[in-house]
Amino acid sequence: MRRTLALAFAGAFVLPGTASAHGIGGVKDLPVPLWLFSYGGALVLVLSFAALGALWKEPRLETPARGRPLPAALQYVLLSRPLRIVIGLLSVLLFVAVIAAALVGERSTATNIAPTFIWVIFWLGLVPIVVVFGNVWRALSPWAAVADAVEWTFGRGRVSYRRIEYRAQWGRWPAAALLFLFMALELVYDEPADPLTLAVAIAAYSLITWYGMMFFGRETWLRNGDPFAVYFEFLSRLSIFAVDEHGDRRQIVVRRPLSGLAARDATPGTVALVAVMLGSVSFDGLSRTRFWVDLRYEAIVASIDYGNLLAMLLNLGALGMTVAAVAGAYRLAVGAAARVARSGEALAGVFVWSLIPIALAYAVAHYFSLFVLQSQYAIPLASDPLGRGWDLFGSADHRVNLAPLSPNTIWYVQVGALVIGHVIGLVVAHDRALVYFRSARTALRTQYALLALMVLYTIGGMWLLSQG
Amino acid sequence: VQPMRRVAVAAAAAIAAVVLFLLLRPSSDGGEAAPSSTAPTSSSSATATATATTTATTATTATPRKRPRSATVRITIRDGRVLGGIKHPRVQKGELVTLVIRADVSDEVHLHGYDVSRAVTPGHVVRVAFHATVAGRFEIELEERGLEIAELEVER
Repeated sequence: MRRTLALAFAGAFVLPGTASAHGIGGVKDLPVPLWLFSYGGALVLVLSFAALGALWKEPRLETPARGRPLPAALQYVLLSRPLRIVIGLLSVLLFVAVIAAALVGERSTATNIAPTFIWVIFWLGLVPIVVVFGNVWRALSPWAAVADAVEWTFGRGRVSYRRIEYRAQWGRWPAAALLFLFMALELVYDEPADPLTLAVAIAAYSLITWYGMMFFGRETWLRNGDPFAVYFEFLSRLSIFAVDEHGDRRQIVVRRPLSGLAARDATPGTVALVAVMLGSVSFDGLSRTRFWVDLRYEAIVASIDYGNLLAMLLNLGALGMTVAAVAGAYRLAVGAAARVARSGEALAGVFVWSLIPIALAYAVAHYFSLFVLQSQYAIPLASDPLGRGWDLFGSADHRVNLAPLSPNTIWYVQVGALVIGHVIGLVVAHDRALVYFRSARTALRTQYALLALMVLYTIGGMWLLSQG
Repeated sequence: VQPMRRVAVAAAAAIAAVVLFLLLRPSSDGGEAAPSSTAPTSSSSATATATATTTATTATTATPRKRPRSATVRITIRDGRVLGGIKHPRVQKGELVTLVIRADVSDEVHLHGYDVSRAVTPGHVVRVAFHATVAGRFEIELEERGLEIAELEVER
């Protein structure tokens, strides 16, 4: 009866010391059996769906107004040039520090700050910030800051002119492909937290980004080609804060919750990028299952010389298949919706933003406990970033709390995130259907397939989390 | 009115489904019923192998109430693989765990999480003892080879 179940941290990469404390130990004494959580989650979705059909008959998320502007004084400060320069300088300094640590610091994930900074502070830590405060990555990105500085030095248009016309059909495919590569570095490659590997990755990414901005224009590249800019922009659609650009005038507005997702976007590669977001987290969960751990072991021991390569190929294949499966399931659901509505048009762009809350939910469910544990390492590492025994800020001896959260707490957060994320996904999709189909009846009927998809994602997500 | 009826029907159906599940759930270990049909690798077999691989000085998983004080995990590496395949030992939090490692290669054994590393050399038995103070699942890895040899689960 007292069946225990290991919950995964599901961070396949091996970070400092404790870093690979993937598991959280057994969840025990839950009020209901674990399997009931899956059915409970599915039930919540079905009920929400029914309630949406009954009570939500007009589109409410799409607003003609662009939101209320923040107080003028606050806007003036936030959008001011000096602030931009200061933040740019700080971010470039930090960028140089991290690259320097990766290059000349001790080549160990436990004593070098680069792996923790990149995988935990940047990659995981920015997610909640962007979701709450909007797309601050645009202001924080050191690559954009460097581009700005270069442009300012040589004169606008001298560097960043469009040498190559960016074709519309490329859409966000470059960003999707690059994000896939980044995820492969994290989940496929066997030493993702090796400082030197990260230095090489940063160098490659920097070249791609700066050349991309140079060839296609800064904005074009950041909107379509830069994986991080696009990733954080997608997530920032959940935020109530947005920058509204009206010709030359920029202002920060507060918009209705979720209204950032109430848009149609048929840009090619968008579904692919969202599928990479969802699929990579799913694969991370999958790779922590007993089945996969044993399979990888068999691959590695199969050959002394090529075992690790074989394991990586297995990982790569499975990551690709997971991403393809996520995209395929979405296309199927959308295709079914189109058939129901007898719509000749492709609907993929109509509902794609309803997947963003789910992507966030997956990220929270899989990584929040890892973040709570691992981010603590940034405190001692900040004082001794290179592993040379320094104590810059007096925090080098900070002891981390190895068990900051109880397994049950983690489980409840995971279940809560999954269910809430999917319900929000349903709300957004429902609202989009109402906008697009006008007849509330047709709109509801198109949503059955998406409901099935969301139930599948919820149950699948919980299963993966419970396996780890 | 019609949509309200639809909601009522859906809600009734859903509640009926839950009640049915509660009633029909196969006896005590019901947790295995539905999800595990898609999960062939999960825990029914897991418990068995874990107990077998953990050569506990006092049976670890069999008597959870008695809280045994210590457990021993033996791992033998021969011809580049773990004898008996990758291990999935389970111990209880608070136990004194001893890893007994015998390898026919020179490498470094790394217990992640607890962050304990020991060099292993052919012909020598290495013992690593530690108090399992943090619950969780922890990799034990042959560091240079990059081979995971065991996943230690410390249960609360």
